[in-house]
Amino acid sequence: MAKTSKLTGRKRNERVAAYGFVAPAVILLIAFLVVPMIYTVYYSGFKYQIMRPNDMTFIGLDNYTKLFQDKNFWLAFKNTVYFTVIVVPCQCALALALALLVSKKFRGVAVFRTMYFSPQLTSMVVISVLWSVLYNANPNTGLINSILVTLGMEPINFLTNADTAMNAIIFMSAWQGAGYQMMIFLAGLQGIPRDQYEAASVDGATKFKQFLYITLPGLKGTIKYVIMITMIQAMKLFTQPYVMTQGGPKNSTKTLVYYIYTQGFQKGNFGYACSIAAVFFVIVVCMSMAMKKVTAATD
Amino acid sequence: MKKSISFAMALTVALSATASAVPVWADDVTNLTIWSPTDTAAIEEWWVEKLAEWNEAHPEIQVSREAIDRSDSYAYDNKIATAVTSNDLPDIFYVDGPQVSYYAANGITVPITEYFDEETMSDFVNSTVTQCTYDGELYAISATESSVALYYNKDYLKECGVDVDDLDSRTIDNPVTWSELAEIAEKCTTDSYVGTHIIMDHGEGLPYALEPMYLSAGKDYISEDGAEADGYVNSEEAVATTAYLADLIAKGYANVDPITDEFLNGACATMLGGSWDMATLEASADFDWGVTYYPVNDDTKTAVSPCGDWSAAVSKDCENVEAAGEFLQWLMSTDNVASYAAAIAKPATRTSAYETEFMAEYNDGPRALFVEQLQSNAVPRPRTPSYAVFSADYAEAMTNIFSDAASNEEVDEDYIQSELDTVAESFTEDYTTYYAE
Repeated sequence: MAKTSKLTGRKRNERVAAYGFVAPAVILLIAFLVVPMIYTVYYSGFKYQIMRPNDMTFIGLDNYTKLFQDKNFWLAFKNTVYFTVIVVPCQCALALALALLVSKKFRGVAVFRTMYFSPQLTSMVVISVLWSVLYNANPNTGLINSILVTLGMEPINFLTNADTAMNAIIFMSAWQGAGYQMMIFLAGLQGIPRDQYEAASVDGATKFKQFLYITLPGLKGTIKYVIMITMIQAMKLFTQPYVMTQGGPKNSTKTLVYYIYTQGFQKGNFGYACSIAAVFFVIVVCMSMAMKKVTAATD
Repeated sequence: MKKSISFAMALTVALSATASAVPVWADDVTNLTIWSPTDTAAIEEWWVEKLAEWNEAHPEIQVSREAIDRSDSYAYDNKIATAVTSNDLPDIFYVDGPQVSYYAANGITVPITEYFDEETMSDFVNSTVTQCTYDGELYAISATESSVALYYNKDYLKECGVDVDDLDSRTIDNPVTWSELAEIAEKCTTDSYVGTHIIMDHGEGLPYALEPMYLSAGKDYISEDGAEADGYVNSEEAVATTAYLADLIAKGYANVDPITDEFLNGACATMLGGSWDMATLEASADFDWGVTYYPVNDDTKTAVSPCGDWSAAVSKDCENVEAAGEFLQWLMSTDNVASYAAAIAKPATRTSAYETEFMAEYNDGPRALFVEQLQSNAVPRPRTPSYAVFSADYAEAMTNIFSDAASNEEVDEDYIQSELDTVAESFTEDYTTYYAE
């Protein structure tokens, strides 16, 4: 009896310790995620001009009704989905290719790893400013157009043409983000036993077949994780259009988060911005769940 | 004996110190904080020096300044908006001219009329008084004004066969017309040069610099009472004005994505540039340049120029408005206005400032042109509480229109109309939602 009581006491202590360890994270999560989210939903029910915090009028679901009829919201949604659909596979494929490249043991590999990862260490604002200059339509200033002109081609208005602006941002984003995913893939590659490759090699499997039947299955969990985080990051696209195009030209780079910002801060429609933020949250959750289901089905 | 002398001296020093200074207890001190945008080294130094001077003379009102990074066109205003939501506004903050009405209408700033008597106000140029007044009350006060005029690269224009002497001889009654500007731009556009430069900051720079064109054509962006945009910004005159500007882009006479300091870097022949550009050109341009009055519409020949600059306003959260008012009276004294304007290289708002040595450069030569424009034909931007929405939407519409013109190499007037209609609709929605009675 005494033994049982002692075990129960130890279990209780362990439980208290566990709660103690979890508590800081839970408290921070509640303070900085759950509470703001509740406030966002609350404010979305009001006509709320940001300059008049003491003059809010409850309007029920009017902001949501307006939102679903707002062509700019749908345009921003379309742009966000387009960016996500293109950038996720491109960035993940590039990251995987780079990881395979730098997983080999050769002289100077550490330099390449650092080089590929270095864009991650730089602020996205700095990268965006830099690429704005690289993309400049004037061949005397924009390096890319200067190269195109040297090759006898016409300069391209990368950021001022509605047909090219989003693709220019996608290219830059994939370049910038791939280094981080590369490191995750690299860690995943380390976990694949070398003897599997040796056995395959003895059996006469080509490098491509080894990649297809050993590397890819071995990285399944990593791939799922990388796709998921890249998708969530892509949905939150803001800095690049904010710095490089201000949502233009012709709204071609206006994304949902950028739209929330312009409505809430530039135009002061805080209540309406909150309703877009709430819908955006639901969209991200739904897409993440759908992605989880799709990847689970492949298991 | 030595000890007694030392004691007597110490006592004398202590007594004289007590007699010459009135002690100020911590509770009696009013601390005021100012927010204003970060600026050039000369202005940052000006603030340090002036605040030290004030704080020394006024131990009961201690003022400190926080320089806020402007980053892009709207970043400073976003900072104010965030401070409003978190009740974190400073006592005094600087606002751009057209935003005075926005903050005043929303009760973010308080009237300061009583701190500036009629005689003092009569010394300020009309444009700044109008811009800083909302609903009959003065809500902000500015030391400097701004203007825009047409700069031209004399060396390059001569190469292109443009009559530079003619441009030099223009007066305020005989400015360059739009068609003359287009003609010069056409003559001067080559593979290495564009004919002209339009401020393309994708933000407030666009409505600011281009408004005189619309006024010259006959219609402002918004009605005089600040309540209507429909029939104004999307009027026939506005579409024609916008089409003229878009045509400069479509024909390649102006860049939709200009390089930084395009004119200074010798990449464009003319520039619709600000009064603030003059100091940079004087210091750094390696070519001969000139400046002439803001161009006018060919049909109306109505001369209009832009104006408006950052002004100091007292926030609703200021606990000692009287102290803030007293400080602003001092800050806007003739000498302070003159030295500030000289440091920031902008025209002063007070007429008396031009009689001081600080403003000597503005009495003749190219800088005098801006003063002449300000005193004769400057029109402040619309005074409406929905200006923030208008500015953002107009800048977006113009960027779209210019991008469309650049991509298609032609002007689509239907597209211009639809974009300007969107601006009008958005303005009307904001005004009716929040401000219409």
